[in-house]
Parts: sequence; C-alpha cells; structure tokens
Amino acid sequence: MQTGRYFAIWVLSVLCCQGATPSASVILPMTETQKQGALFIDALSVPSPGEVFVAMNKACRPNWATLVTSISAPVTTERSQLALGVGVLAANGYIAVEAQDGQQVKNVGREMMQVAKALGISESLMGRGNSLMQFADNNDWEALAEELEATENEVKATMVGQKDKELVSLTSAAAWLRGVEVATAVVLGSPTLQGASVIEQPALARRLSLQLGDLPGRVRQGDRVVMVRDYLDQIAAILERVGAGKDPSMEKKRNEIQKIHELSASAVVSIMASANASPTPMMHSIPIQASEGISNIKAVPTNTPDSSSPSKP
Amino acid sequence: MLQAAGSGAIETPVNQPLMEEGSQESRNSAPPVPTESRRLALETAGAFENEGFRIRDGEWHNSLSKGKEVFLQVNLFAGNQYWFVAASADNSQKMRIVAFDASGKPIQGESWQDGGAHPRSRTALGVAPAVSGVYFLAVELLDTPGTSPVDVSLVYAYK
Repeated sequence: MQTGRYFAIWVLSVLCCQGATPSASVILPMTETQKQGALFIDALSVPSPGEVFVAMNKACRPNWATLVTSISAPVTTERSQLALGVGVLAANGYIAVEAQDGQQVKNVGREMMQVAKALGISESLMGRGNSLMQFADNNDWEALAEELEATENEVKATMVGQKDKELVSLTSAAAWLRGVEVATAVVLGSPTLQGASVIEQPALARRLSLQLGDLPGRVRQGDRVVMVRDYLDQIAAILERVGAGKDPSMEKKRNEIQKIHELSASAVVSIMASANASPTPMMHSIPIQASEGISNIKAVPTNTPDSSSPSKP
Repeated sequence: MLQAAGSGAIETPVNQPLMEEGSQESRNSAPPVPTESRRLALETAGAFENEGFRIRDGEWHNSLSKGKEVFLQVNLFAGNQYWFVAASADNSQKMRIVAFDASGKPIQGESWQDGGAHPRSRTALGVAPAVSGVYFLAVELLDTPGTSPVDVSLVYAYK
C-alpha cells in the first residue's frame, strides 16, 4: 500500500513538473465537415520562410552564407508583380538572417522600401525600415527575423487597407516559392537528400494555387499570376507523386526534387524581372537523367565540424 | 478589390496602378490597434521567447461562443517545436486548444492554463510534430460567466 502511495506521488510530481494538465474529457477526432470548414488564415496557416529555414537547420545545417544572393526589386508599376516581389524579398531577408549577413539584411530592407514606395505605402513602413537597419547593425538576429515578418505583414495589412487584399495571397505564394527554391538547393546538396521531408508539403502548394485561382478576374488573369499559379500546380503535382510513391529510389527522388528546384527558381526569376522583360517561358515537367540533374545543381555544402562558416548563436 | 479609377467602362491596362477614387487617405493608413486579447496572448507567448522560441507576427482574432469550437488549419514542420497561445481580455474564460493531424486525429501535446493574474483566460498548447504537413487546431471556449461571445486572440511561436 505504501508502495502504491509513493507511486501515485511520483506520478503526480512528474505530471506537475512537465506542466501537464489532465484532460477533462475525451477528445474526438475531427469530422470531414470540420476539416473542410477549418479556417485558412494567411498570417497563421502559411508558414513563414523563417519556419522553413529553422526546420532545415535542424535537418541538415545548411551553409547559409553560400545561399545569400542579392536580388533587386523589380522595376514595374504592376501591383501584382510588386506584391510577388515583396514575398521574394522577405524570404531573402530570412536567408540573410540565417547567414548572419547584416549588410545583406540592410540591402533587403532597402529593396523592400523601394517596392513599398512603388506600391504607395512607404510612409507607414519607414519605421520598420529603420528598425531593420538598427537590428542589423546590432547583430540582433532574432529581433531581425521577427522584424522581417512584421514588415512583410505590415505591407500586407496596408494592401488590405488600400482595398488590395488579394495581393496578400501573391506575397505569401512568392515567399513560399523562394523558400522552396532555397530548401531544394540545400537538399540536393546532400548525398542522402537530408531535409527532404521539410519540403514535402503538397497540400500547401495546392492551397496557395487555389488562393490565386480565387483572385478577382483581372488580377487572376495577369501574366505573372498565371505563371506563378502554374508553377505552384506543377510543384504540388510532383510533391504528391513523391508522397504517394512507396519508397521511391534515391535517384528518382533526387530527380523530382531537382524539378521542383528548377520550377521554383524559374518562378522567382520571372517574378523579379523588370517590367521591360517578359516573364520566363513556363517550364513544363521534363525527364532529367540523374547525372544531368546533379550537374545542373550548384551543390550547397552543409556545415561540417571543420567549416569556418558562421553558425547561428 | 482592385478597381479602375473613373468610369468602370474604361479598360485600364494591367500595368498601371489601379486605385479606387478617394482612397488617397487610406494609402498610408496605420495598422489596426492591437486588442487587449492580442496583447495578453503576445505577453504569454513572450515567456517562450526566453526558451528560444520566435513569435509569429500574425494572429487569429475573433469571437468565441461557449461550446462552438473553431478550427484553424496550420502547416507545421517536423523537427520544429510550437506553442499555440490563446488569450481573452475577459477574466474567467476557460479555453482549450487541441491539435489534430491531417487525418483529424488528436495529437499529443503539452497544455498550459493560466492560474495567475488572468485566471483561466489564457491557455497554451505545445506540440512537436513528427511529420511535416497539414495540422488543425481547435480553439474552444469551455466555460464563461456570461452568455455573450468572447473576444479571443491566438498567436503562435516556434523554434
């Protein structure tokens, strides 16, 4: 009896230490109606590039310094393209934060202010731009990551305030595409495709595409929006294939991820092309030999113990 | 909604900015003032920042009625840890957050309930998904002193 009492006390203390709260009632599984009726909110349901990269860090410790690229804001008056550009730039900012590249963060901040000016919303973002510069100067990487997201969200909120709420979907889709481009490059640089599970999110790709399909007529029919939607659909189809296949071979999986990388990279190039350049012709799925696929990719080395690249604090 | 300035019958080229007439003052409108519920939710989530969590800037904000749970879809990554925090400015609202996987099956998580300055009006759920993908959150008002819907804000943090 005393043993039982001591056991009960031990169980209680373990529960208390873990902060667990015993549930008061049984929780039933969701019904199909509940699943279909679940809210999809851009600010919460679409993961930020920061989340993707944090997951990549755990899976395969990328060498972020080699992934930093300088991208200029597109020179255009097309609001759809500007909204897409904000997404790509925001994702680039997260990469710069992961690489702890303060100068690149500042560059991204400047380009985002350029786009905001073209959208007519720069005044409300001046404070954000200054904060980005300050955090970059102070090497406050955590604060920078949060400020980047806050800046992106403020752009989105201002778009909504300007009766341009549909542009929000474009920004989110573009940020995700840039994130996928980077993540696939990292995965392809690993002989064992480490980190692949992070990018296997076909449902998200489909949802982003659906959102673009729900945009008002003129916006939906714009060249770049059509292009981005097509890329999202192609990527979703490949991800669904990868997910449905029973233990695909490494070679086959590598080929598929290579295709996703090329599609997302093409999408980003077209998004950021200036107004006098026509969008890159849409890529369609093409068979790629494994060796060709690997040679087409600039391998992104992951951090090794001997690496001298900067590491996240 | 993008609308052409001037006559609706005029076809405006897509590469020109399309602005509603009289929208100039909304051009640089300030974002809405955060609610007390959001402030409480962020304050609670702020505690997890000390453990290395990053708080997402977005929120879900709405009114909850007792017994009518709301479901949200989120996309989570394997390897990451998450804390979802719901808060209400009205004290004594007992809330619950439950997470489900893509098939709708509840998943295990760590629950936290406020027993301090804001008794029962703040709740949190911590999860560490094993698989990346779609998940659902159910936010439910289990108990409330009144009958009116209650203002609730939900935020989340990850690491």
